[in-house]
Amino acid sequence: MKRKLSDSGLENDHPAGSTPKRARTTQPQPNGALNGHAPNQSPPNGNVTYELPPSQSTPKKSNGISTPSLKESGLKTPTHKSKARNLFATPTKPKTPAAGTPSRLKKADQSAKKKSARVLFEQDEDAEWDGSEQLAAEILQDDEPEPEKTTGSIVESVEEGDAEKGKAKDAKAPKRRAGRPKGAKNKRSPTPEGELPAHERYFFQNRAGTGKTSNTTLNKVPLLTHEEYFEKLGQYVDPCKEEKEYLLSLHHRSFSQWQFEFEEGYNICLFGYGSKRKLVQNFADWLYHHSSTENPPIVIVNGYTPGISIRSIFAMIATALLGDDLPSKLGAQPTEVLELLQSALNNRPIEDGPITVLINSVDAPPLRRAANQALLARLAATPRIRLLVTADTPNFTVMWDISLRDQFNLVFHDGTTFTPFAVEADVVEEVNSLLGRKGQRAGGKDGVGFVLKSLPENARNLYRLLLTEVITIMDDGHQSDDEGGADGNKSAEEHGIEFRLLYQKATEEFIASSEMMFRTLLKEFHDHQMITSRMDPSGMEILGIPLSRDEMEGVLEDLVLG
Amino acid sequence: MDSDGLGDVLDLSKDRSQNQEQRTDMKNKGVYIYQPAKSGKPSGERPSKRRKVSSTNITKEASETEGFVPLLNGDENPECVQLRYNTYKQLWAEQEDRIQVILEDVDAGVLKDVSSFVRETSPETSNGCIPTALVTVGSNVSSLSRLLSRLNDQLKSTNEGGVVVLESGDAPNLKTSLKNIIRAAVTNTEGTDGYQRFLTDRTGPRILGYDLDLLHDYVQRRGTKKLVLALRDSEAFDPGLLTDLFSLFKSWLDRIPFTVLLGISTSVEIFEGRLPRACVAMLQGQHFEVQEAGNCVDRIYEALQTSSDGKMWVGRNITSTLFEKASDYFQTPEAFSRMVKYACMSHFFANPLAVLLGNPDPSILNQNRFCEAIRNLPSFRMFCEDLLEVGSANEARSMIEDDDYLLRAAFDHVNAGQEIMRRIFSAVLLIHTCLQHTQASKKTPVSDISVRALSGELSESPLVEDMLTTLKTLDSEKLGDVLITLPTLAEGSPLTDIQADLKTLLETNSDSLPLRSEYNVNSSVVKTTVVQQRVLLTKGKANLREQDIEYTRIIDRLVSALQVHFAETLIRPQELFMHEAFLFDLRNPLKETFTPRPRFAIERALTSPFDYLMSTITPDAKISAKQPAAAILYQLYLESGALVNVHDLWQAFYGVYQRDENNKCDDRVVMALFYGALSDLKMFGMVKNSRKKTDHLAKSSWMGM
Repeated sequence: MKRKLSDSGLENDHPAGSTPKRARTTQPQPNGALNGHAPNQSPPNGNVTYELPPSQSTPKKSNGISTPSLKESGLKTPTHKSKARNLFATPTKPKTPAAGTPSRLKKADQSAKKKSARVLFEQDEDAEWDGSEQLAAEILQDDEPEPEKTTGSIVESVEEGDAEKGKAKDAKAPKRRAGRPKGAKNKRSPTPEGELPAHERYFFQNRAGTGKTSNTTLNKVPLLTHEEYFEKLGQYVDPCKEEKEYLLSLHHRSFSQWQFEFEEGYNICLFGYGSKRKLVQNFADWLYHHSSTENPPIVIVNGYTPGISIRSIFAMIATALLGDDLPSKLGAQPTEVLELLQSALNNRPIEDGPITVLINSVDAPPLRRAANQALLARLAATPRIRLLVTADTPNFTVMWDISLRDQFNLVFHDGTTFTPFAVEADVVEEVNSLLGRKGQRAGGKDGVGFVLKSLPENARNLYRLLLTEVITIMDDGHQSDDEGGADGNKSAEEHGIEFRLLYQKATEEFIASSEMMFRTLLKEFHDHQMITSRMDPSGMEILGIPLSRDEMEGVLEDLVLG
Repeated sequence: MDSDGLGDVLDLSKDRSQNQEQRTDMKNKGVYIYQPAKSGKPSGERPSKRRKVSSTNITKEASETEGFVPLLNGDENPECVQLRYNTYKQLWAEQEDRIQVILEDVDAGVLKDVSSFVRETSPETSNGCIPTALVTVGSNVSSLSRLLSRLNDQLKSTNEGGVVVLESGDAPNLKTSLKNIIRAAVTNTEGTDGYQRFLTDRTGPRILGYDLDLLHDYVQRRGTKKLVLALRDSEAFDPGLLTDLFSLFKSWLDRIPFTVLLGISTSVEIFEGRLPRACVAMLQGQHFEVQEAGNCVDRIYEALQTSSDGKMWVGRNITSTLFEKASDYFQTPEAFSRMVKYACMSHFFANPLAVLLGNPDPSILNQNRFCEAIRNLPSFRMFCEDLLEVGSANEARSMIEDDDYLLRAAFDHVNAGQEIMRRIFSAVLLIHTCLQHTQASKKTPVSDISVRALSGELSESPLVEDMLTTLKTLDSEKLGDVLITLPTLAEGSPLTDIQADLKTLLETNSDSLPLRSEYNVNSSVVKTTVVQQRVLLTKGKANLREQDIEYTRIIDRLVSALQVHFAETLIRPQELFMHEAFLFDLRNPLKETFTPRPRFAIERALTSPFDYLMSTITPDAKISAKQPAAAILYQLYLESGALVNVHDLWQAFYGVYQRDENNKCDDRVVMALFYGALSDLKMFGMVKNSRKKTDHLAKSSWMGM
């Protein structure tokens, strides 16, 4: 009973760092109900009775303490908690994991994940598994002759990104190289040495207590714009250029095989890493020149094109097939076009040969939907249609169930090319969205300012209103949010104003007199990607601005002054 | 004020930003018709041409043989290529016919049932409900389309009506489904143009495409008696939509003779449970079951391998791969036969020896090369070693030195080998038939027996031993049955004698049937004796009648004859000289082609890129800047935990380049590479944005899992 109680006490004794949500989830359920204590009233010596199994540090706690200061001095630094433990330790504590809190332990036993984690721990020297100690040992071994430098380098590895990144590279580099013999290794690696089976690795990397990532952010690193990305990419010389070309030429050797497969009624799917667009293009060339008929119809589809529709694909195939005989009205439904296509193929003289359709990135988002794939499967099942598709993602086969697979009648070939996905993906956009910095592509502050200049007075006023409101909300948010996302970089999009509220304010300020007009203005902003809209959990529409706070202030300033 | 309205306004598809890079139109066009490059040879031409340096009329030939290329390093004669192609075509055409016969046969039963159901039922016989055929297909998904198309052909040929197939994709709402049904019904008999005419050439007010009046009109004009509406994937339809459809049909039932056919892949109960009661009440149906795919697959395999005029066989590895796939995944019989076909294709496409199956004139072979190829066969080496062992060194010498001699021997051995293969499979069939009698419960399929036969283990396998033991215990009646069904063995076999002897024995002892051999349970007696308080069981032979002893002798003769026969025929096919020509047994092209591992391929490309990029650079470290950027990033990603700090990741990534290039690298260039690699990982679904911490990524896939 006492132990259970202490458990809950500990949970609430958290440093402020961990989010409240987390703490709630980790609280053992029976506590509150059993002992009737409000959790936060638990006695301060709650910590004392609580003892963790030495190897099984609980995630949230260590998370809280793992501030950079800890890292610098190594794990030995006695924190508030461990001090307490040492002082009040009862004889039963410092034992094997078996001595842990019963309820907790039982839970741990129940969890397969933890069980397997413990197996890992028991197998090896307990503490070595902990990333940091292993790291320390490694550094001690590696850099025996120059110990001072080592400590320095660790600090640096944490700090350098913040402070020094982006300038004076040359001056700094030698020092760093000495300190960091292996570029990647000095990052505190959460991966244990040696080969782990895949599932053990999963549990290891997901084990409790590994949230220890550093708090550095990309704030000081200027991100790339589209222009710079392409400019810099142009300067890069690929060291594997020859090998990639050789790889491509190996694929070219299969062309005749592919043609034979086509001939025998199979459709082809190419998969593997790298853009296969060029390969497909070359195959089209090859087919064209090796065909027994003049001008064999070949239709190429770029599945990654946003907004591409199945109907347009079918319509293009029909155009290739019928040429001038194409009926002026094709029908709005893809099925109608497909049926037209099928009947046209039936009437096609046999010596005219089949029609070849080559689809790049069949698993790209625009074509990925099940309905689209079903239609493509029907196209593939049509006699005298030869279909070659390429797939880029690793799990594309889950798009097709057994009956689709049956209709597609595919043979698969590894078409790894290592060619970058230059066209398929909008790299900068993708990365920005991955980093939660969507708006930067619209040209950031300057872009927004430019657009605003071209808009009428009303629109400018509305945007000013929106900016003011959002900034106010952000400020409020910071005050109430004690967990200080101190950099103010907490994705600006998360703050926003409710649609209705904004409309109200806009009418009050005589910016928009009707909802219709209000929407027209918003649409203009949306077209230029100057606002974002999302649904909050209660179903309200929240409008936000895809800019960082500094930029917002800058724009607002310009608006007010201008 | 509704927020949905704004959602509509705002939820416009986001246009991609115009990229600054110069691009040709082709890249950005969604779909276009290929136009060859204006000038110069296409780049794809060169490598393929390099292979066929020696042959002069490449293009002409390629068109004739549809992708067959000269083998033997390009030195194969065009005639041989042509012959290989023709032999393949001919061989597969025969096999294809066999498969079709089996498929039709399998479907015949259920087709007959369904078509008679369609013909005989009417709203009157089903209490005013819509007559409904519920067809459960189980794993055999393709059977339904075959069934439907044949039913359609039948109905069309007798001018009774037709089948309209509706898929769930065609039925997003009531209007569209009706429109699709009507159009399909009319097009089925009138063609697309007919449908257009039908729509336009009408007197009176124009009727919309989804008006059932149209269909009514059509039915009246054609005199249709049966209009079958088949829902192939019934489970995928929206139950509400089905209810609406059926209630419409029901109200038109007096004018349009609907019959509904529902394809169900789960079970009738589950399907019925999903529908509202009101909907179920409108249907009155009968349940049909399509034969499971597994059985069908077995029959196809049997037909392909055991045919008496077989020329080429698939080996053990392929057989087990095929059946592994058929049992592990749901697989349609068509998919199965496609895999066999692909095996056959691979054999003829890539094996120059396959030309021997076409009985070529030796003069068209490029003798020099061809013999060299034969001499490189493992079976050739084995054969020569055997020759040396038995002391015919001269023969071995001429095999190695004399091309003509070798060719003659090769031809002979191919023919002999084919004969042996046929015998092996007839023995397999024999065993299979016997097993039908001796195995009580679980019947071993032909495929299992074939796998053992193809690996040369059958004659000593417990399966055959058990069979022979059981055979011994059979009484004369059952043995008679067995002997009748047994296919005749090779010429001069003692089986006919045995059969005759048994017949005379039975005739002379017709009063004391059935005869039992001494191995029968009834013929042995168990004696129980108690010795020193312990029970001893001793088996002893009961006193046998004379005719039983005679019968036992016949049985012994039969069993030993079978044993001899099996021992003679069931040899390891891999030991035959020239087996490479008629036995295809490479697991790999087949397995990789039909069960791809795309995720593994990508993971491999990223973890060890030099598996693909045959590099001359031997990388010193595991991760080096020589690797493609995505590979570097992926390996760093593998080392990280479930949560990744982007900044640290970038630092590590940059560190790799810095170390390798002695600080001469531009960090912005590396940044661009980092961007590309990160976007790749995102595209592969390996990372996503994490909300837990600023600038952190969440890992979402673990290698090897």
